[in-house]
Amino acid sequence: MSTPYSSSSGEKGSSLGRDAWLRLKKNRLALASLGFIVLVIVACFLVPLLPGIPDPNATHPDLQFLGAGSSARSMEGRDVFYLFGSDQLGRDIFSRVLYGGRVSLTVGFLATFVSLTIGVVYGAFSGYVGGRTDVVMMRVVDILYALPFIVIVIILSTYVSAMEDWKPVKFLNELFGSSLWLLFVCIGAVEWLTMSRIVRGQVLSLKRQEFIDAARSLGLSQTRILFRHLIPNTLGPVIVYTTLTVPAVMRLEAILSFLGLGVQPPDASWGSLIKEGADLMASDPGLLVYPAIIFGATLFSLNFLGDGLRDALDPKSSKD
Amino acid sequence: MPRPLQDQTLPGWFSNPVRLAVGLVLALHLSSCREETRVERATREKILLLGNGAEPKALDPHLVSSVGDSNILRALFEGLVTYHPENDSLNEPGVAERWESNADFSEWRFYLRDDARWSNGDPVTAQDFVYSYQRILHPEMGSPYASMLYFLKNAEAFNRGDLKDFAEVGVKAEGERVLVCTLVGPAPFFPDVVKHTSWLPVHRGTIEKFGKMTDPYTPWQKPGNHVSNGAFMLTDWRINAHVKVRKNPHYWDAANVKPNGIDFLPLESPFTEEKAFRNGLIHLSYSMPESLIGEYKALPDSPLHIETYAGSYFYRCNVTKKPTDNADFRRALAYAIDREVIVKYVTLGGQTPATAFTPPSEGGYQPPKVISFDPAKAREYLRKAGYASGAEVPEFTILINTLESHRNIAMAIQDMWKKNLGIEKVKIENQEWKVFQQTTQDLNYDVSRAGWIGDYVDPNTFLGIWVTGDSNNYTGWSNPDYDRLMRESSHLSDPAARYAKLAEAETVLMDGMPILPLYWYTRVYLLHPDVRNWHPLLLDNHPYKHIDLIPSGEGGSL
Repeated sequence: MSTPYSSSSGEKGSSLGRDAWLRLKKNRLALASLGFIVLVIVACFLVPLLPGIPDPNATHPDLQFLGAGSSARSMEGRDVFYLFGSDQLGRDIFSRVLYGGRVSLTVGFLATFVSLTIGVVYGAFSGYVGGRTDVVMMRVVDILYALPFIVIVIILSTYVSAMEDWKPVKFLNELFGSSLWLLFVCIGAVEWLTMSRIVRGQVLSLKRQEFIDAARSLGLSQTRILFRHLIPNTLGPVIVYTTLTVPAVMRLEAILSFLGLGVQPPDASWGSLIKEGADLMASDPGLLVYPAIIFGATLFSLNFLGDGLRDALDPKSSKD
Repeated sequence: MPRPLQDQTLPGWFSNPVRLAVGLVLALHLSSCREETRVERATREKILLLGNGAEPKALDPHLVSSVGDSNILRALFEGLVTYHPENDSLNEPGVAERWESNADFSEWRFYLRDDARWSNGDPVTAQDFVYSYQRILHPEMGSPYASMLYFLKNAEAFNRGDLKDFAEVGVKAEGERVLVCTLVGPAPFFPDVVKHTSWLPVHRGTIEKFGKMTDPYTPWQKPGNHVSNGAFMLTDWRINAHVKVRKNPHYWDAANVKPNGIDFLPLESPFTEEKAFRNGLIHLSYSMPESLIGEYKALPDSPLHIETYAGSYFYRCNVTKKPTDNADFRRALAYAIDREVIVKYVTLGGQTPATAFTPPSEGGYQPPKVISFDPAKAREYLRKAGYASGAEVPEFTILINTLESHRNIAMAIQDMWKKNLGIEKVKIENQEWKVFQQTTQDLNYDVSRAGWIGDYVDPNTFLGIWVTGDSNNYTGWSNPDYDRLMRESSHLSDPAARYAKLAEAETVLMDGMPILPLYWYTRVYLLHPDVRNWHPLLLDNHPYKHIDLIPSGEGGSL
């Protein structure tokens, strides 16, 4: 028995994903970006596990503002080596950039995942049901769009931190070691709006197509049609938008950390490292330059990859 | 003629002291070949440009409590006694031309000068002072500094609302020219006390034109309405831009007021302020970024000034909440902090590591030497507090107000507690200044950063705040022995005996350790060489009328 997608001619079948991968492989820039992102993720999450990487929060005030690649002996008699130099409290910038990357990447990806889940389900449901429900749901999105983002996040985080003793909140605090989870829940809860509009638009055009009629005439349930037939077909634009959301979210995290709602000292994220570095760039540019280069390169890579994926996943692009 | 606000000859940042030096030399001296900077023009017009920290909360002497606000009020108003330009412990006649006390310093008579005038021409009378003291002490006014007037007999009861009749409070006008203050006990330093902003007079007619006596924040504070009796009067106030004061023609000593006016600029960030100074926008900065101190120090003829400042930087502990309710635990925290490291590498401004709370004064009060850095002792206290190791200590938070230097100090201390005591779970939380003050006041913290600057030159201004129920205590700490010693000290008129009693009280305070003293302040700021007659002062209360502005670039000798 053949599925509706398998080709009936003698040509060998090729899935959308495989086609996309072949096209992506030809895009050198996107491929290099993918490689860089993998490298950064591996570096941030695995390198700190190696022995010899110093504690990012251990201070050696007597060894402040050392240049890159310097080694010194602290007054406690400990030998330290600074690959990227040291900051105003003698902490290792290299290790802070790695640990900061953990926070930034975790927030970036998890917040995107939250916004993806809410946005896709909401948008698909709204588009598929249509009619008055659609109008009401989309006006809700419009209203939320109009609210100032920072204010919502502040209100959300104030409410949640007031419920510190509530069991689920306690559990999450312990799981992540801090209230960091709040950051990506907040960002995710606000960032899903655009995603839901994109998915709704896709679903609106898809639901009139023959394969949906076919599914409906086969007597499939509404839920099954929505989740097995409609949503998988919106995946292309969703993936592209996701790669563009990750950098946006990482920037938001930087803004919130700056306002004191994100990571709290002494922990660092790339955003907070850049903020601190900007104040001290006159006396010690390294504090700004290293995190900024890595943050910038990661954002660029994510954008290039998103671009490449958009080209690759576009079914209309030529199939040579 | 329109003129650019800043003359930018160098990029906004630099990477080494040499370029900094070049930039400063250009900004400060070589004025001939470029357009005039704002500072140069201001010097020519004799207008002093001051960086003044945050935007003022009010221009009403009965509502303010911050250092920046009182700077503005010191220019606008003049008290009975006023500050000497070279030494804060000396007294200059202000509205009062002379004063005298009875034998045990508990009753003071101030003789007001005939020619003291408000900026609208009205004479300044003894009744104005009585009216002002009634206003600040009125319970409905809710003034943050009302407790400064508790020196007056019955003032405390009136302020708490227990006493309704102000006539029973120890201040009387005898005719228009004599003010008599009856105190709760002997206070030989009383003329020092009345120099403070909370003792400044307000103009009754103006206050009551815009509302009741106790209405705060009425339009009387607006330029045009504002009436003051100091060397300067308010001419312009734009939120987040400037407060401008100009010479008051009715001031009794107007002939000797040197500057034509002062512009107070709210520049909150030390980094912004330093850039403003470098670009010739201000004569004097309020603060200085720690990270640039080293480079400025290396300059020849450096505009950087580092001076002793009668202030104490410390952490408050909330003694009503676990884990800081345990005195042994607080002692453990105190002994585990290496204050030498903090002043040498973090604050960098030549501060002195504190051995107690009150800063020592030369030839005056010497605080006991109690606290030092002693990890072994700290661990012993931790065991006494019932924790076998630091890992057992429950999580607690250091609360700071948002400022780079507070955060650096907190992070250094956090790591010291980790290294020396093994305490892992210390969080740092920052809050904006106004929220921070409220949180601290509500005892909604574990450990909270604090600074206390003396209001007058006497240890009483420091030790007085730890008495049970003082409006600045904010720790919940209370000790009957301490209260008794403080009360006893206020009945002694011999300085040596009084200081001994106060030192005894301070020993009790340091034993209870509701606070963790860190260091004694220095004032670190940038001063333009055009500013003359500017002398280092212990309390930094400069009487602005003596300050002169002479161009230093064009033949002016330094």
